[in-house]
Amino acid sequence: MSPSRTTTFDLVSRWLIFGLLAVYTLYNIGPVFWLVLSSFKSRMDLFAMPPKLFFTPDFSGYQSVFGVGAAANSASSVGVFDSLVNSIIVSVSGTTLAVAFGTLAGYVCSRFNFIGKGDFMFFVLSTRMLPPVAVLVFYHLMFARLGLADTRFGLTLVSIFANVGLATWIMKGFFDGVPKEVEQIAIVNGYTRMYAFTRLVLPMVKGGIAATAGFCFIFAWNEFAFASILTTTQAKTLPVKISAASGATGLEWTQICAAGVVLIIPVLIFFYLIRKHLLMGMTFGVLGRR
Amino acid sequence: MSTQSHTARQAELKRQSSGRLMIFGFLSPTLAILLFMVAYPIFSLVYYSFFNFSALRQTTMKPIGLRNYEFLLSDPQLWERFVFTGKFVFICVTLQMLIGIFVGYQLQKNFKGRDIVFTALMMPMMLSPVVVGFLWRYMLNSEWGIVNFLLYSVGLPKVDWLGQANAALWAAAAADTWMWTPFIILLATAAFRGIPETIYEAAEVDGASPTYKFFRITLPMAAPVLFIALILRLIDSFKQYDLFVALTGGGPGTATETVSFAVAKTAFSYFYTGEASALAVILLVIIIGLSMILVRHLQKLGERY
Amino acid sequence: MAEIVLKDLSIEFGAFKAVDKVNLTVKNGEFVVYLGPSGCGKTTTLRCIAGLVQATSGDVLFDGQRVNDLTASERNIAMVFQFVSLYPHLNIRENIIFPLKARGIPRAEIARKLDWVTGIFNLGDELKRYPSALPPGARQKVALARAVIRNPAVLLLDEPLSAIDEQFREEMRWELGHLQRELGVTTIYVTHDQREAMSLADRIVLMSDGRIVQVGEPDRIFLEPENVFAGQFIGSPSMNLIDLTPVDGGLRLGGSNVTLTPASNLIPEWAVASRRKLKLGVRPLNVHLVEPGSDPTAFPLAVDDVFSVGRERFFMFSIDGVPYQGVDKRKTTGGAANAVHFVPDGLLFFDAETGLRVTGDAA
Repeated sequence: MSPSRTTTFDLVSRWLIFGLLAVYTLYNIGPVFWLVLSSFKSRMDLFAMPPKLFFTPDFSGYQSVFGVGAAANSASSVGVFDSLVNSIIVSVSGTTLAVAFGTLAGYVCSRFNFIGKGDFMFFVLSTRMLPPVAVLVFYHLMFARLGLADTRFGLTLVSIFANVGLATWIMKGFFDGVPKEVEQIAIVNGYTRMYAFTRLVLPMVKGGIAATAGFCFIFAWNEFAFASILTTTQAKTLPVKISAASGATGLEWTQICAAGVVLIIPVLIFFYLIRKHLLMGMTFGVLGRR
Repeated sequence: MSTQSHTARQAELKRQSSGRLMIFGFLSPTLAILLFMVAYPIFSLVYYSFFNFSALRQTTMKPIGLRNYEFLLSDPQLWERFVFTGKFVFICVTLQMLIGIFVGYQLQKNFKGRDIVFTALMMPMMLSPVVVGFLWRYMLNSEWGIVNFLLYSVGLPKVDWLGQANAALWAAAAADTWMWTPFIILLATAAFRGIPETIYEAAEVDGASPTYKFFRITLPMAAPVLFIALILRLIDSFKQYDLFVALTGGGPGTATETVSFAVAKTAFSYFYTGEASALAVILLVIIIGLSMILVRHLQKLGERY
Repeated sequence: MAEIVLKDLSIEFGAFKAVDKVNLTVKNGEFVVYLGPSGCGKTTTLRCIAGLVQATSGDVLFDGQRVNDLTASERNIAMVFQFVSLYPHLNIRENIIFPLKARGIPRAEIARKLDWVTGIFNLGDELKRYPSALPPGARQKVALARAVIRNPAVLLLDEPLSAIDEQFREEMRWELGHLQRELGVTTIYVTHDQREAMSLADRIVLMSDGRIVQVGEPDRIFLEPENVFAGQFIGSPSMNLIDLTPVDGGLRLGGSNVTLTPASNLIPEWAVASRRKLKLGVRPLNVHLVEPGSDPTAFPLAVDDVFSVGRERFFMFSIDGVPYQGVDKRKTTGGAANAVHFVPDGLLFFDAETGLRVTGDAA
């Protein structure tokens, strides 16, 4: 702490900064608060003017998301609950495979030099940057021809492709953090490279794999563009389902808000679990390596 | 001697070949899925972009050379979409960088409850873009939305946020900024905290005022990381699609159709598959260009950290 | 130029007293070296003088003026840090002129000053390069150039040479001393390296546990340490410290059967006369292994080892299992080696309980 005197200017600027921070915090937190609050409102309360802060909670939104009570069978195609199941299946299987593939590729990229490595790395990353709609123009045809349209398997395939690039880069970052001597010592002692990888290196990046899985899951879970075009009835995921949650009187806001809250819960949990690696995942394994 | 070197060489060869096997074996699943899901579709896109072709009538494919591109590039509607996307990207990225750097700079200091505040501020980033779109659509409703209610209660006029082209642009920018400013905060805070304390002490001793320190030390030293953040946001907001589907549906009219949105509409509403392919190729070229800048800087940064 | 006075200066971090009621006057143009083991509070004191750490109580005065409430930038000081603190995104030229630019000095003036320091430090070829391209020694040179470019009243150096290669360090040390005399700037230098302290300082301030142990010219601290700590901290190899127990007519050396007497071993009369437990401090250079019979004041001790460092030969001996060191002065290495001689002028006596040095005058 360095010595400082408080001038009027300091005071004014301090309050100004504080004020701006407060405004930003309101802007940042307010909508989340409003989302959670609205998910418990009945239709009457939703449209009330002035908006209500206190009301009798209504659980119909959550009931329809979890497929219980009268709201369960109101939808025409799959129910909201079925779409939740789809979401879980697709994102879990997609994440698992993307992380598995990405771990293998990331290890090779971290340890070996091979021809075209730079191009490979760029190609892999560029898939993360790809605008979904661009490839969707072709997927639309391809999925129909291969019978993948509106199937969980097809969506899982998309989920793998969409995340394997990110997984490769993050895992490369984690492998870079493991000293090369680990394998060298094992090889000198007569073990194979494969043994060194599976028995020594992999256990050392356990945390990294978990973090990568967390990231891939968050992206797979929230994915919308692919799922919205490639599913029609059976394989709809929750984000797609809420975009179509219209009833007789327009959008079913209670359902949408409840689904939004349900969508954010697993993300919150994963987010908390991988908080230390947040930076790593957000910068493709470049920053925040430890 | 010679037998020894011979066996050594054999061992070396064996190790090399096992290394090659490992490279091949470990890369092939990733490579396979990316070739199948990215390279093949992109080549097909380029191929289709030279045809007059609709997904609805797959039997009639008429080669028309560059006519799709000619048509698109001379179509004032497409330029409007580029202009709209450009405006959207510019507003979003500017706001997000300014707010993100400001808040990130304040949050780099250690204070009580920092972790909790930090985690809470990251919430918008965790939401699905569709949820974000609907949430803001819900809050911005001109009749019963909370935003207009708040404006009204402080004596300001209500705004028909999603019914006017200009207001809708700002509404979309507000939603995107809401969602992604936390990302800039996250990166900026990390960049600022990465500057060693002695650098600041040296600057203090050297007589630098707080403002001088911020602009001459803090910002330039955080610049590489901030630049990555900027490019990432540039790419992401440029290809923004989900948010517009949920928030405006491209409306009012076609006022908030981004380039991505236009691709989707051409391909899946009008089924002009050839034309959509050409548009997708144009979009890809731009994104790939931006990605190349990104990767170059990521690699530089990777060497430094 | 300025005179610095520390008045009852205390610096606390929570319950930890880093600096405890320190009083010191640094004269205008003086080169003072703070010396002490790590954690003794020397760097904290320096940072407080710089204005980077707030004093808990007491005052810092520059030319009689209290500066406690001035920020570092208002104190007209310059500082060189232990770890290189150059601005990595600025080239050498921009680094050096940073303090001038930050203060809005006119361009012509900046150019003139830059010429002046580049001349002194011979940095002409490096100006366009970036810190990362320079070896650590050259970086500290730049840091020094940046420090002196605006003629600060006080130059503060926090272990500036510790991160530099041994070879280059000698050279820098010499240059630093030379430069300080030329500029005549009041300088405070913090180090844990006694050789740096001995060669650079006008006066050394020896610190331990947040308190000043002794202040004085390097020679005086070496020859007349005020207590056991000062005696042992300064000098390399470290001073031997042996218990002395009063016995009839002399002092017994540790647990050995050697009794030192004024007559046979030339130890001072008062030390025996005081009849209290003492500690004998004797530097290895004053402990000689001699040819048996060549020196009547020598006495027998168990010698464990004789070894050479360059042209000099040292020996190890032990009393009660505690190892001590001395210089082997014999012409040949063969034969019995157990005659040890203490140079009478080099004997220091410390009170066994307080650790303070006792002299004949006091007794």
